[in-house]
Amino acid sequence: MSTPRPSTPLRLAWTVLPRLVLGSLLFACPLLPALVAGSPSSNLWWSLKPVTAVAVPDDASDLPNPIDRFARAALRSKGLVPVEGATKPVLLRRLYLDLTGLPPTTAEQDAYLADDSAEAYGKVVDRLLASEQHAVRYTRRWLDVLRYADLDEHLPASAGVHLWRDWMIKALQEDLPYDHFVRVQLTGQRSASRTQISATGHRFRVEPRPDDLFALGFLARGAGADPQDLAIASVETVSGAFMGMTVGCAKCHDHRYDPITQRDFYAMKALFDPLVIRKVPLASASELFASGKTMAEVARKRALIEQPMNALAEPYRNRLREERIRMLPAEIQSVIHKVENERTVAEQKIADDYYPILRIDPEKITEVMSKEDREQYQEYQKQLRAVGEGPGAGGVPVFWTVENDRLRETAKSYILTSGDPARPRLNEEVTPGWPFASAPPDFRDGRIEAFSDWLTSAANPLFARVAVNRLWQWHFGTGLVKTPNDFGQLGGMPSNPALLDWLASEFVRRNFSMREMHRLIVTSRTYQMASQAPAESAANLASDPDNSLLWHFPLQRLEAEPVLDSIHAAAGNLDLAVGGPSYELASAKKKGGKPPEESAGHGYRRAAYITRGFSSSRDVLPAFLQDFDVDDGRVPCPVRTQTVTAPQALFLMNSAEIDAAAEALAKRLAKETEGNPARSVDLGFRLVLSRGPTDSEKREALAYIGDDPERLRQFAWMLFNLDEFIYVR
Amino acid sequence: MIHRLGGGFLGLAMGGLRASEEAADGIAGPHFAPRAKSVIFLFMCGGVSHIDTFDPKDNKHAGKLIDAVGFGDNLASMRRPVIPCLRTFTRHGKSGIPVSDWFPHVGGVIDDIAVVRSMWCHESNHFPAVIETCTGHQGRQFDHPTFGSWIARALGTANRNLPVFVSIGRPSSPVQLTGGYLGAGVAATPFQSGDVPIANLVPSGGGSAADRERSMEMLGNMNRAFREEYAINSDIQARLRTYELAARMQLSAPEVVDISREPESVKSLYGIGAPATDDFGRQLLLARRLVDQGVRFVQVCHAGGGNGGWDAHGDIKSHGPLCRATDQPIAGLLKDLKQRGMLDQTLVVWTSEFGRTPWSQNTTGRDHNPKGYTSWLAGGGIRGGIVHGATDEVGYKAVQDRHYYSDLHATILNQMGLSPQRMEITVAGRKVRLVEDGDPIRQIIA
Repeated sequence: MSTPRPSTPLRLAWTVLPRLVLGSLLFACPLLPALVAGSPSSNLWWSLKPVTAVAVPDDASDLPNPIDRFARAALRSKGLVPVEGATKPVLLRRLYLDLTGLPPTTAEQDAYLADDSAEAYGKVVDRLLASEQHAVRYTRRWLDVLRYADLDEHLPASAGVHLWRDWMIKALQEDLPYDHFVRVQLTGQRSASRTQISATGHRFRVEPRPDDLFALGFLARGAGADPQDLAIASVETVSGAFMGMTVGCAKCHDHRYDPITQRDFYAMKALFDPLVIRKVPLASASELFASGKTMAEVARKRALIEQPMNALAEPYRNRLREERIRMLPAEIQSVIHKVENERTVAEQKIADDYYPILRIDPEKITEVMSKEDREQYQEYQKQLRAVGEGPGAGGVPVFWTVENDRLRETAKSYILTSGDPARPRLNEEVTPGWPFASAPPDFRDGRIEAFSDWLTSAANPLFARVAVNRLWQWHFGTGLVKTPNDFGQLGGMPSNPALLDWLASEFVRRNFSMREMHRLIVTSRTYQMASQAPAESAANLASDPDNSLLWHFPLQRLEAEPVLDSIHAAAGNLDLAVGGPSYELASAKKKGGKPPEESAGHGYRRAAYITRGFSSSRDVLPAFLQDFDVDDGRVPCPVRTQTVTAPQALFLMNSAEIDAAAEALAKRLAKETEGNPARSVDLGFRLVLSRGPTDSEKREALAYIGDDPERLRQFAWMLFNLDEFIYVR
Repeated sequence: MIHRLGGGFLGLAMGGLRASEEAADGIAGPHFAPRAKSVIFLFMCGGVSHIDTFDPKDNKHAGKLIDAVGFGDNLASMRRPVIPCLRTFTRHGKSGIPVSDWFPHVGGVIDDIAVVRSMWCHESNHFPAVIETCTGHQGRQFDHPTFGSWIARALGTANRNLPVFVSIGRPSSPVQLTGGYLGAGVAATPFQSGDVPIANLVPSGGGSAADRERSMEMLGNMNRAFREEYAINSDIQARLRTYELAARMQLSAPEVVDISREPESVKSLYGIGAPATDDFGRQLLLARRLVDQGVRFVQVCHAGGGNGGWDAHGDIKSHGPLCRATDQPIAGLLKDLKQRGMLDQTLVVWTSEFGRTPWSQNTTGRDHNPKGYTSWLAGGGIRGGIVHGATDEVGYKAVQDRHYYSDLHATILNQMGLSPQRMEITVAGRKVRLVEDGDPIRQIIA
């Protein structure tokens, strides 16, 4: 940092003060490894303290769900009074859109409204949590956090990356325990027992499930232009997503607010340093034979072109290199001009340092070539392109996984200056490890394996806390900790610490079952409250205007994907097929190219499958997703910002998608009600808002529609534009 | 057109809370006579090299390994090779301010520009630096709004048919669009780059204007009950306003965004029609048309997405095409504003989140440099043809008349008739400002 600016009182309050109060923590950094070993934890930052078994408040209420006891206790302490429960139709829509991202069908609405039994709600919850569309919805939420992208400027693992997404859908559908969910994405194996012994005493590695290969897309996706990008991206994503530690800053300096040192960051990076990506062909034997033949043919043709091409470029390359050398200080020049085996070790280091500066790239060569030579050179380049790329899998589908590279396993790891792979500090070697470890790690099973055992251990206070907070956030819109990827000092305190800790211990007790936690949360009264703040709760509003203690359910705007899915569902055009390659919206036109193919087959696939990513030559992310706050997946997105903008309104008013859906919905209404306007109004409300119209709404709608079929279409359009459609109450 | 919120419970709830807060915060401006009516804020995503554009250094250190102690957040010693600047600088205009051969057109209007060569900020990575420079605060623990939102909030709209704050092109971060705790109502309305700046402007369903008005009226009626129930929710109020705005934009915006009827002479001023400059030229002409129509704040992001296109680690020459794409359009904008007599009331600001280092990372490119870089301003009561502040002899640190980025915000506020000190509100019991600590750069104000 350069000269700090004088602190205003405000800066004091927000940054300096917590640092003073918690100064003991910062100075205690070197002691932190003792954390899990049971050091006196009273002066630790809250998120690093062990999760303690919190007693459920005994408040003589009849509330069976402990969540409500904790929530009510917090409300009572501030004199807040919770509002009433939501009505059945409101609750059903909330639950469906939350758990599956889809509205309930009319039959599902009927069945629920007709079921007066005490178990009615619980039965729906169980059915939805077991459905594959729930898995699709929550996979998409996880993918935001784990920075899924189909393509990027440097994304070598792009081909087949959707198989990682599809693996996750299957994993969530079978309720893979969270510790396994994380471990398999880090190691490719679910179980922590990785070896077994044969009858003859031979120890061998347990064969992983073949489909768990696809979970490693998580690590492979981090690979980039530099071989160390994978490790750096892994640390950044893993620490934020699973440890609640946003350690990106520690890449360049000791973390200013948190007990993550630069050394910790690079020790974690060293865990991943041996990883390289490897292409796995997904093809039959005969397809591989055919592809091999094609490759050999390409290589032969390339060699014929490359030979004269290099001969042509050589004199130019040498000349440019000499020019560059002449720009260097004289002592460097003499080093460069020495023959390699005559250089001292120090001189060789200098020569290596200057290698990238002296490297001459093809485009620099063409800049200085004579006209004829350039044309000839470009002709060769053209011929090469026509022949095809060099070694490739020859057209068979592939998936990119990761594996340990033997050579990299023996290589040393260093702190990098400014996080730059080209700038290792050779006097600062790091050994693989992680912050807060209690003992020297045992790497016999492998580095990441050892780390994942520590990470996913029930004793790790961050692991469960961060996870349950994320699940809570997905149900309520905001986490108990508002910054789900930052449980450090910049993230602040939880709104209800006792509840967070109870949820964390419960998560461990329930063997990390995410499904059970979802069930626990959505069956609480807290989740089932109404979202309105009625006039009599003015006192609540005055003391907790932001509803941070949840005296009412927060009104939430639907995210982009459920908006689009709900529109197509109402119009009867939604294709619920699960998984497969990502697709591009027809409206996302390629710059200067032909528009991508229409979504094939019957209807529109769910928006979770729309391509994410970035390209410098065209807009990959369709305007619709951008307008509704979807990120492109290049960095983890733990919270989607929720904007309210005119382009959103214009999309719902005028877009081709809405136009087609309104048309289809109007046709559907006419067909399913045999043209009866009253029943059409009824059905329209139920398809779009998951409730029937009130009497006055019905009167008004009927008066508007009259006998005009065009008006029915406008009625359908209007339904999609209602606030109530785009908000979950 | 759309049902407007009435009194009743809503009025009560609002009167009891938000309204009094607004009345007490005293943001509403102007606080004194403004020099500018609008701002066009040009943000070059990724970090422009000041050394190769507006802050020439001689090459006497080129090729030397220099010890860059204190670079970024490093305290360790670090030896890096200073790379030569391959640009030639020409003194332009009456002021004779040197501008590199990458910005010849901007050089042609340099007498209207105040070049500030001594900017600095704290953060040395893109996302944190973008957040710091657009909100005036580091980190995202608090939902700080981007500074266009502060201006939108303070001054409100001068044309109800258009958004008060427009952002054109893809930003580096969504934080550059956010209204944060000031509310969704003052967030940026994003316009896309490309042929269709704003999608879905034209009602597609056919039908007469009267029909559309009738269905909007119906929509308003049908929304009424819901909006009354959720009247305290600022997002719902904002949504009502975005629909009103969207409806009005349908009428007014198609004409504003349609640049086809601009005379050829104007289009060519911006480089529209030439492949290299067409994209950015259209965006800047659109920006001018928007301020012409009373839009307060137009943010134009160039080469956004990811780390930003200007992030030239590998080879500084990757600046070349970006400079070509922006040079003529930027100069065209200043000329066009001037010939229309609008430059006096339009503040144009050009900046990045940070600059670039004198040395490379063993490449022919340059690293991030938050310690010293260049921003420039023009119009809106700014003195043209001056250079203010300086970096050291290699272009690493700002050493003379140093200005933290908040000073740039303070300058913009000042020209808009806003006092940085009065731009303060209370959020969850805390007093917050856009400019916590900073002052207008007096030396460049006319």
